[in-house]
Amino acid sequence: MSARLGRRDALITLASSFAALAGAGCARGGKDGEASLWFAYGGTNREVLLSLVNRFNAEQSTYRIKAIYQGDYFEALAKLRTAIAARAAPALTHVVGEVVPYLAQAGALLPIDETHPVTGDVVAALGQTGCFVRGGERPIVCAPFNRSTPIAYYNRAIFDALGLRPPTTWKELESVARAATVRAKDGTVTRHGFTCPIDWWFWVALVGQAGGTVVEDDGTPSLGGEAGVRALEFWQRLVHEERTMKPPPGRDYNAWQATNTDFLAGRVAMIWTSTAFLKYLETNAKFPVGAAPLPGDVRRSVPTGGTMFVVPTASSEHERPAARAFLQWMMEPRQANEWATRTGYLPVSQKGLAELEASGYYREHPNDRVALDQLKDAFAWPWAPSLFRIQREAVQPRLEEAVLVRRDARATLDEARRAAGEP
Amino acid sequence: MKPKRPLDPYLFLAPTALVLGLFFFWPLALVFKNSFYRWDMLTPPEWVGTANYGQLLASGELWGTIGRTLSYSVVVVVTSLGLGLGLALALDRPGKLYAFVRGAVFSAYVVSWVAVALLWMWILDADGGLLSTLCRSIGIVPKNWLGDPAVALYTLAAVSVWKITGYSMVIFLAGLQDIPRSLHEAAALDGAGPISRFLHVTWPMLRPSASFVGTTSLILSFQAFDVVRVMTQGGPVKSTTVFVYAIYEHVFVNLRVGRASAMTVAFFVLLLGLTALQLGSWRLGRTGARRA
Repeated sequence: MSARLGRRDALITLASSFAALAGAGCARGGKDGEASLWFAYGGTNREVLLSLVNRFNAEQSTYRIKAIYQGDYFEALAKLRTAIAARAAPALTHVVGEVVPYLAQAGALLPIDETHPVTGDVVAALGQTGCFVRGGERPIVCAPFNRSTPIAYYNRAIFDALGLRPPTTWKELESVARAATVRAKDGTVTRHGFTCPIDWWFWVALVGQAGGTVVEDDGTPSLGGEAGVRALEFWQRLVHEERTMKPPPGRDYNAWQATNTDFLAGRVAMIWTSTAFLKYLETNAKFPVGAAPLPGDVRRSVPTGGTMFVVPTASSEHERPAARAFLQWMMEPRQANEWATRTGYLPVSQKGLAELEASGYYREHPNDRVALDQLKDAFAWPWAPSLFRIQREAVQPRLEEAVLVRRDARATLDEARRAAGEP
Repeated sequence: MKPKRPLDPYLFLAPTALVLGLFFFWPLALVFKNSFYRWDMLTPPEWVGTANYGQLLASGELWGTIGRTLSYSVVVVVTSLGLGLGLALALDRPGKLYAFVRGAVFSAYVVSWVAVALLWMWILDADGGLLSTLCRSIGIVPKNWLGDPAVALYTLAAVSVWKITGYSMVIFLAGLQDIPRSLHEAAALDGAGPISRFLHVTWPMLRPSASFVGTTSLILSFQAFDVVRVMTQGGPVKSTTVFVYAIYEHVFVNLRVGRASAMTVAFFVLLLGLTALQLGSWRLGRTGARRA
């Protein structure tokens, strides 16, 4: 009898243990005062962010942030959507600016107005108010984190040897790329004059420079009209006729990494990429790196990029105080400046920016100044929930096709417009 | 006859039925249901009838994806089968050297897909990769193995072949060791040469192994994802967007769960059709063998 009871007891204990383990596994969130931060950087930027998180955790004992790497921006976004659907989102994460209106419309983001004393200090063009058309007329749901613009990087050694200056117009870009391209006797190119990822962000810059707008303020995907066609044909001409631009292999951030690698290896004389890679390129190049604003066509124009901090609605309520405390701390001038000066991203705090100016930082680091000066040419994105889908589904895959296999630019953009109009 | 305990068979079946139902039939039913909705996982789903299927057919995406997946699979299955058989025949010998080579060939199979993909990305780099450098050193202009839309799919197929050929070889080796040596000796006494012995003794005895290798390689090639995700992300110009990657792109990149579900249903139907064909041909083969 006692043996049977013993077995039953053992079974009950085992079942209870499994239930407890399952419960622990399913329980959301950690201890009080703890919050998860999902982030999407590798390399130097990841190291800088982790060092800031460690400092936040060390400087006070009330809150603790657990930083969790989630792949690149788009992988992290895919995971975030799944986590939101499962009501298990982190208390704080960062997403690309273009997806904020979509997430906000879906009710996936909490307003972060209560942090306003700090977020109110942000550089206007980089926060929700200036980054989106009429962005200040709705609840603030995002705060600027790693914000950037595309800039031109050039190999100063090659440019000095050839007596070249960074181009200021498309025409100059063509001639500079031609002059910096080196061909072997059999005609194969051993060094390209120019490259940039065949990516929506750089195409948007070209469209703006050609005088167009990609998505109208009401969300209509005009894709720049004639300016869009001219932008695409400009790339096609550089790749196929001039053969001075190297289309980097791979998609998304693989192509961005390939662009950096080609530049550092001296296979390309000038690239366009994000200001985010400034410190990485300066540190790893075996030649002096120059930075310059993007050239203009009928005007100068650049999009802003990078990501915004957001607090998902589907996050655990008891994690939010820690998340908000960290968000406020990150927006303070000291941290905002440390993040900017150690990575190359733009400083997001107005007070912090004033401190940097006053300290003479930009006189000593003129490359850091380029993206900042370009902000006067930055345009505001429309607050269009369809913006992200237009980018990822309608335009991005077709740009690659148009440039690599030289598909008719007009037909490509007509098709992209139809795809963008799909519900 | 009335069974004493009529519920027992069902109780015995219950655990398997539960696992199958929970992890196979229920998700399949959900996918089928979702294929009739437009849903982004954040906003409520909206009924759209067969619009997702219509869109896949009208845009040509479905046929394009089927074409790419089948091209990839044919190259992977045929080449890994041929190479695996050739290696098994060449290495079915005693000795430490042969054992080492067998082990070396098989080792690629146990390495993770991500590691294999990263290794081959380095080898295939158009500028500084090992293969391109070798090509240049012997005066051949190298291809842009992963950047040329006409070449990239076959490059990925070649990487997959490199990885799974060791597996085919091991199955064929096991098959070869099951063939009684007396059959070869009898055939040799009857005057059969090596080719005749292969065609009339070895190959007929290896057919079950070949069928097994063919089926498993086909399944493996249809599931290709990791190698695409790491090496090309479906590009350039969608040239390596095979079925599983297309489904991933729809649900996680384009935020279209409905269209991804429609793709999954189409994928399921395609695999069902291929399995039926394979079963049919297997049955025909067995009937033919019995008649003979």
